[in-house]
Parts: sequence; structure tokens; C-alpha cells
Amino acid sequence: MSIPRIRVSQLKLFYEDDQKQPILDELNFELKDHENLLILGPSGCGKSTLTHCLNGLYPRELDGAMQGDISINGVSANNFASGELSLQVGVVFQDPETQFCMLTVADEVAFGLENKGIATTEMDVRIHEALGLVNMTAYKERVISTLSGGQKQKLALACILALEPEILVLDEPTANLDPKAAKEFIQTLDQLQQKKQFSLIVIEHQLDGWVSLIKRSIMMNTNGQIFFDGILHDGINQHRDRLEKLGIWIPRATKIALAIEKQGAYFFNTLPLTINELASYPISYNGLDKKKTVKADKRLLLKARDISWSKRNTSIIKQTNIDLYHGQFVAVLGANGSGKSSLSKLLAGIQKPSRGTIHLDDRPMKNWKEKDLRKKIGYVFQNPEHQFIADSVFDEVAFSLRLQEYSEREINNRVEKILNQCQLTGFDDYHPYTLSQGQKRRLSVATMIVDDQSLLILDEPTFGQDAHSTKQLLHLLVERYNQGTSIVMITHDMDIVHHYADRVLVMEKGHIVLDTTPEQLWNYPVGKLNQWQLELPKEVELKQLQQKDVGYVHT
Amino acid sequence: MFIHNVNPSIKAITIILSVLLLALVFDPITPFLFIIWIWFLTIGVAKINWKKYLLYFSPFLIFAVGMFWSNLIFANEPINPNAAITLFGRDFPTEDVNTALSLSLRILSFASLSLLFLLTTNIVHFILSLMQQCKFPPKLAYGILAGYRFSPMIKDELFLIRSAHRVRGVNRAKTLKEGFNQYKRFAVPLLASSIRKAERTAIAMESKGFTGSRDRTFYRQFTVTTKDWIFLLGMVAVLLILIIMSWQLGYFKWYNGEL
Amino acid sequence: MKNWRLKEVIVMATLSVVFGVIYLAFLPIGGVLVGFMGPIGYEPIFGIWFIVSIIAAYIIRKPGAAFISETIAATIEFMLGNALGPILMLVGMIQGIGAEAVFAATRWKIYSLWVLMLAGMGSAVTSFIWGMFQNGYITFAPNYILAMFVIRLISGALIAGLIGKVLSDAVAKTGVLSSFALGKEYKKRKKAA
Repeated sequence: MSIPRIRVSQLKLFYEDDQKQPILDELNFELKDHENLLILGPSGCGKSTLTHCLNGLYPRELDGAMQGDISINGVSANNFASGELSLQVGVVFQDPETQFCMLTVADEVAFGLENKGIATTEMDVRIHEALGLVNMTAYKERVISTLSGGQKQKLALACILALEPEILVLDEPTANLDPKAAKEFIQTLDQLQQKKQFSLIVIEHQLDGWVSLIKRSIMMNTNGQIFFDGILHDGINQHRDRLEKLGIWIPRATKIALAIEKQGAYFFNTLPLTINELASYPISYNGLDKKKTVKADKRLLLKARDISWSKRNTSIIKQTNIDLYHGQFVAVLGANGSGKSSLSKLLAGIQKPSRGTIHLDDRPMKNWKEKDLRKKIGYVFQNPEHQFIADSVFDEVAFSLRLQEYSEREINNRVEKILNQCQLTGFDDYHPYTLSQGQKRRLSVATMIVDDQSLLILDEPTFGQDAHSTKQLLHLLVERYNQGTSIVMITHDMDIVHHYADRVLVMEKGHIVLDTTPEQLWNYPVGKLNQWQLELPKEVELKQLQQKDVGYVHT
Repeated sequence: MFIHNVNPSIKAITIILSVLLLALVFDPITPFLFIIWIWFLTIGVAKINWKKYLLYFSPFLIFAVGMFWSNLIFANEPINPNAAITLFGRDFPTEDVNTALSLSLRILSFASLSLLFLLTTNIVHFILSLMQQCKFPPKLAYGILAGYRFSPMIKDELFLIRSAHRVRGVNRAKTLKEGFNQYKRFAVPLLASSIRKAERTAIAMESKGFTGSRDRTFYRQFTVTTKDWIFLLGMVAVLLILIIMSWQLGYFKWYNGEL
Repeated sequence: MKNWRLKEVIVMATLSVVFGVIYLAFLPIGGVLVGFMGPIGYEPIFGIWFIVSIIAAYIIRKPGAAFISETIAATIEFMLGNALGPILMLVGMIQGIGAEAVFAATRWKIYSLWVLMLAGMGSAVTSFIWGMFQNGYITFAPNYILAMFVIRLISGALIAGLIGKVLSDAVAKTGVLSSFALGKEYKKRKKAA
């Protein structure tokens, strides 16, 4: 028998401040040569801690205790000199912004080679080769800050590949990427596996995209324990209910299958993981219950005429018109850089258009006092932390109420009500920064609905959130929507658009090129959708696949 | 492109030496002639666009003017109070005017020197060269580069936080205390996020095998050659010649007296 | 440099960038102040130069933190385009020595408000001595020099020492410092309370 690439035995790890609750609890697993492994777990299950153990950062940098052993190629990790282990186990991390220390692409790839002591004369060849593996040779002399998120992740991958590690660990590599870039990253990886030999560990809290690449999976729970190690398909089958409860994103196709089971229409012996698989079953599927109730409210809320905006002499928004009505759920779609964020900030009055006018409730925006405007329009920024200004969750929500000089009793009542609505009860005294990602997001929404704003604008609110928090957030938004708040949401998630939005605005190069309903949008030709970087929601895809099949049978 | 190609560390040492020498000078002629010389090097030899140069240089004029008049008014007791020059309808001791002029020209000469450096040097190369020529520890060098990389991000973030707080209804500060609180509310998220970024970057760098050891190879290698020494010696020599010249002409002055 | 963690160095560098950016936002005001009031106009805000070293020393609590961080801060400041150029690195070291000396006097054990303010004043002293030489302040009337010095001392104590402490404590509350000395102390205090 050959020696496993990685053997983890009895790994247990505590942080200094909590000696009772281990972060990782009795982990045992092996990774064979050329094997691909997906480690699935919810946020907070110790996935990143495991990454740090695998590449030798822990126990060196750990404030706490580590028990058990990790061996790489049969040698215990303790026996590696500092820095040596990292060269055998390469890691790509989640955040594309914080993996580099140099300014240009070539210098960054060289940085690892320099650490490894590669001769200067050899470097150019190696850099060229590594960039070639991720299709980025053309970017060799580029400044890193001018790259897109997806390109940065590919560069991070190239930096690691240049070191020729035998084991590659990817720690949520696509979590900060939009769906298109995520897809591309996984494709790059797929091509790479055909060219290079290495063992691969992907650590994730979501499954979409990885299913075709990886067969074996380890599943972890919030206590840092392994509850499944085996074929991915079997794991999903066996633990179908548990995964969702843990907040792991199961494949969308599987989710639909589960819903079908719940309706009692069909029972799957093995759950399908992709839409094509699902479509091969003899099911008649009419779509899930839609949570939206279309309200015919034609009262105009906001009217923008001919608005343009430019930044540093580049025009970002070009002569755009919009009417927003009361009680609408609007999704703003489009490729990165098409002007979605800028448009939303103009509508919220955060930025002033360089030309054109915006009317809110029939009054020109510029005649609104900032104070009154904020009571009408809430804006939720992409990063919730940017909006926090107080030291506790309670004060955070109470802030604007205090500005309006409500009585403390009234403030108490309202804050508690809002916290309850946002499922943050009991966190009153927490510092906002110490909340989980999902809680932070809901708190930032809480601060923006506390004045009963009639328009709530959100910039990619579900981005990077786990399945559980996304569900909670959408639940909250629907509740507001049912109470009459208009919601405008920038998103890349077409399933959300499909289920919740009653109107879509598609942006391209600073223009609104399409203003319609989601149902109409899905009928556009695939080429058009691709051009706008949109993909079909899985449900619609399924329906279209089935119709094709039916059509095929008939002819 | 001679000045562009001088080894960055040697260039920096040259600038520092010149500054130290200039700080000993209290007459207006030496710094004035030196400024002309540096301008000649910057615009004439290094071919820096003069419009761009003026843009960078102009803020220092304000500093220099401030230095000039306050040194005139708040000067120490002159040794020879009788010789006077009339300025703005008031009599000032010649000595004081000379010193004030010298000090403001000194500011401008420092500015010209550092602009000569900044406009002809790739700042990343400077740090790399510090490590290769001056035994600067790699941990510091790459740590500094990693931090420097964040500067555009932090600028953008400051802007974002400002607008995010406006949406929260944070008013414009009216009192000093409010002003400080507002400053704190900007600074804390900025600091918190940059500390997190720093930690993640450190982990990523260590994952690429960085240990801080000096035992490493370099993709961009910097060496010191004869031309670099010529630059250093040449620059110092010119400054010394200028000093000797103004001494010969009877202008040169140390602090509190003539040589 | 052996006993320094890389993340500590990068934290010092990013702190320097943050204050560099904030500082650059203030610079035009500083320029106008000096133009109208002479060098003394600059003194009230001079303490902002030392704030990074005070914060770094207070957060990291290791011998050399004040000195190294001030050197880094000066280097970053100069990379961001500050006009003093390479000489700034030297200036940074000189400023750092002043603060470091105060922490050394407590054997790097005490980090109370008073010590932080004294450290800010320590930087004020060394930087002022350098300023006398570099900018020729020595030619000014003794009273003027004294006034400048006193304002700089106060600025060092308040802007670097006091504000440095207040900001660090506020950051500690966010939990991001949990692996640094200040964050650990904060956690301990919270547990005890």
C-alpha cells in the first residue's frame, strides 16, 4: 500500500479562550495521491482552522492547544522546518484582496519562487508557465489592483502552482466571486487537473459547481466533528435534511428534488445533484410555491429622468429613466461594472446625478433634507460593517430613533420589535463586529427599516452568506415587502430573482437595457442572457429541459 | 535616464547626505544655487515634465512663505542690528532677512531633492534594494510592501464608510467633541478592517513559504556599480563646490556667524 | 526581527497606511496653517505623526514596537508621496526612539494612559531636537522656540497618547485584536467583569 499524501489522526484543537469547546474534534481522515476531496461544513465549523493545520501555520501561530497528528507523505508535520511544509501543501484562500504582497502579477508569482530559493535565471520561465496554467499569461506585467476578483483568484492559484505543491488546498475559493467568475474558476481547475498531477482538497459551504469535479466528501458539523466520509452522492442522500439545517448550500437541483419529495410527487432513491440528472426523472413539475403576491399598486414613489453620473471623467450612468412604484420588489441585474451600484446610490440620494432629476414623492430630491430623506429611503451597503457606528447592537438600532428624540420607552419598544423581526433578540449587548456574517447583515438591514422607510435598497445582500442566513434575510425582506415597503435589490442570484422579484431591471454599460418581469426575462434567447451575464434559474432550466424532452418525444 | 537607473538605495543615501549638509548652511545663496542645480537635473537630465513638476512643487511654496515671514518676525536677537533692509514698509535687520530667506530656501531645496528621488524612483524597487543593499530585514520589507498595497483600498473604504454613515443619519459635527466622535467612527471600522486584512495577508504570505529568512533569491536584482558611486560622489561634490563658492564670495554662513 | 510575527509587522504597516490616508486628507489644512501662521501653525497637529507608534506599542506590547512601527510608518508615509522623501525614514527612527525610551523606562510593562501620553511626549522631544537642526528653528527667538516646543509636547500627549489609546480601545471592542496583547487583556477583563 502506498503512503497517503495526507493522514490526519485524532486531530483536536482548542483556542486559548475556550478550553472546553474544541474547534476541531477528533478528526481522522486520509487523502490518497491524485485524490479530490470536498470538505463540506457550515460557517464556523473550523474549516479555516483545518486549513491552517494542514499547511503548517498551526501550531506555530496558534494561541491554543493542538493534539493528534498530521502527516504529509508519511512525515509528521512537526518534523518540517518552518516554511517547508507550505511548499508541499499550497493554499488558495477565500478573499482575493488579501493574498498578495507585491504590486504586479509577475512580482507576486516570483515572491513564492524567491521564498523557495529558485534561481533568478529560472524564474521567468516558471512565472510564464504558472500563468499559462490559469490562462493569464497576457496579464504578466499588469498591476494586481486592476484585476477583477476572478482574475485575482486565478492569480492566487498560479502563485501556488508555481511552487509545484503535491497537495492543493482551496479554502472557499469562490465565496467572494460572482457566479460567472466562480464558474470560470472551477473550469480552470478542471482543465488544470488534466494537465497536472496533484491531490486536491476543497473546503466549502456550498456545493454548486464542484459536483462534477469531486466525488469524495467529508462533512462536518458546527462542533468541528466529521459526520460523514465517503462518496458525495451518498452523503447528500443520507444527510439530506441535516445539511440544510446546518446552513450548507446544497446543489439547487437537489433542493428542487427535495421540494418535489415534500410535495409527495416523487421519491428519489438517489438525489440528483445536477439539473440534467433531475430532468431525466419522469416527474411532472409545475414550480414551487411562489412567495410573492403581486400587488397592483400604481402609486409613484420615485421618478428619475435623464440621469447621468460620471466618476473621474468616465461616464458610469448614462441618461437613464426609471419610475419606481410603491410595493414593488425590484431586482437590478447585470454584469460587474455595468453600473448597478452607482445607479442604486443615485436612487438612494447618496450620490447626486451630474445631470437629470430625481423626484421622490413628487418632490425633487435636492429639496429633501438629508434627515427626512433617510426616513424614506434605506440603503444597505455591501459590507455591513461600513454602516455600523455604535458599540452595541441595541445602540446601533436605537441610533436614528435617538436622533429623533423619541422617549427611551418608545425607543426600547421599537428596537426590541425590530430586533425580534431580524432574529437578533438576545444580542442587544453584543458589539456589532462580533456577530456572525448573517447576523451582521440582518443588523444592517435592521438599522435601515427602523424608521419604517418606504424604500429599501440593498447592494448584493446575500453575497457570501450561508444558506441559513440567506433564508432568514429573505424571510425578513418578504415580511417588509408584505407590509408595503418597496424593495430594490442588486443581485447575481437568479433563483432569488425568480422567487421574489416582480420586476427586473437589466443594466449594461450604464444603461437600463431591459425593464420587465422575471417571467419575461427568462424567455429571452440564451445568447442575450449570456451577454448580460445572467443565467436561468434552475427551476426554469428544468422546465425548459423537460419541455425539450416532451417536444422530442412528440416528434 | 541616468538618474532613473541609479541604485535606489544609493540615490536615497545621496539625498540624505545632501540634506544633512544643507542643514548646516544659513546663507541664502548656497541653497538657491543648489535648487537651480537640482532643477536642472530633474527637468533637464531626468526629463521630468515641468508642468507635472510644478504641480508637485507648488505646495512647498506655501510652507516656504510661512517660514520666511515668521522667521523674520520671530527671529532671535540680531548680532548686528544696524544694517537694515526695508520690506513691506518696515525695517528688518539684514541678517534676519538673510536667515529667513535661507531657511525658506532650505525647505525648497529639501523639496527639490525629495522630488528628484520620488519622480525618478520606483518605490517598490527602493524597498527591494534596501533589502539587498542595506541589510533591511525581509520581514520588514515585505510587510511594508503588503501594507502599502492596501492604500488604494483603504482610500476607497474611507469614502464608502463616509457615505454609509451619512445614510445612517450621522450629522455634520458641530462641536469639537462631536468632531472627535465622528473621526473615531470613521477610524474604527477602517482600523478594524485593515487589521483583519493584515492578518489574512500574513497567513497567505506564510503559506507561500515566506519565513522572513534572509536566505532567499530575488527576481529583481539590484546591484551597486561604479556609476552609482559616481552619482553619490558627484552630487556631494557639487554641493561642496557650491558651499566653497559662496564662501569665497563671502556669503557662506554657519549658524551664528561667518566662517 | 526573529521574535516578530509577520502579521504584527503587516498590522503596523496597514495602520500606517490608514493614518497616512487620514493624514493626507488633513495635509492641505496643514499647508494653509503653516502658510498663514508659520511653522508654529503645524505644531498642534504634529502629534498625529506619532500616533501609529503609540497604537502599535499599546496593541502589541513588545520591546521595539514603538521604534519599529514609527520607522515603518515613516517609510509608508514617504511611499504614499510625502515630500520629505528618503530623509523621512531617518526622521521616523528619531521619533520612534523618543517613544521607545519611555516604554523602555517601564521595562515594557506598563501601558497606562499616562505612559502612553509620556511616550507621545517622548517622540515630541526627539522630533523637536531634530526639527531644530533640520529646519533651523534655532534661529528663532527663544520664546518662540519654547512656545513651539510646548505645543508639540501637548500635541504629542493628546493626539498620539490620548487619542491613540481611545482609538485602540475602541478597536479592541470589535474583537479583531483577539490575537494581540491588547485584545487578550480586553478579553480577560471582560471575563472577570
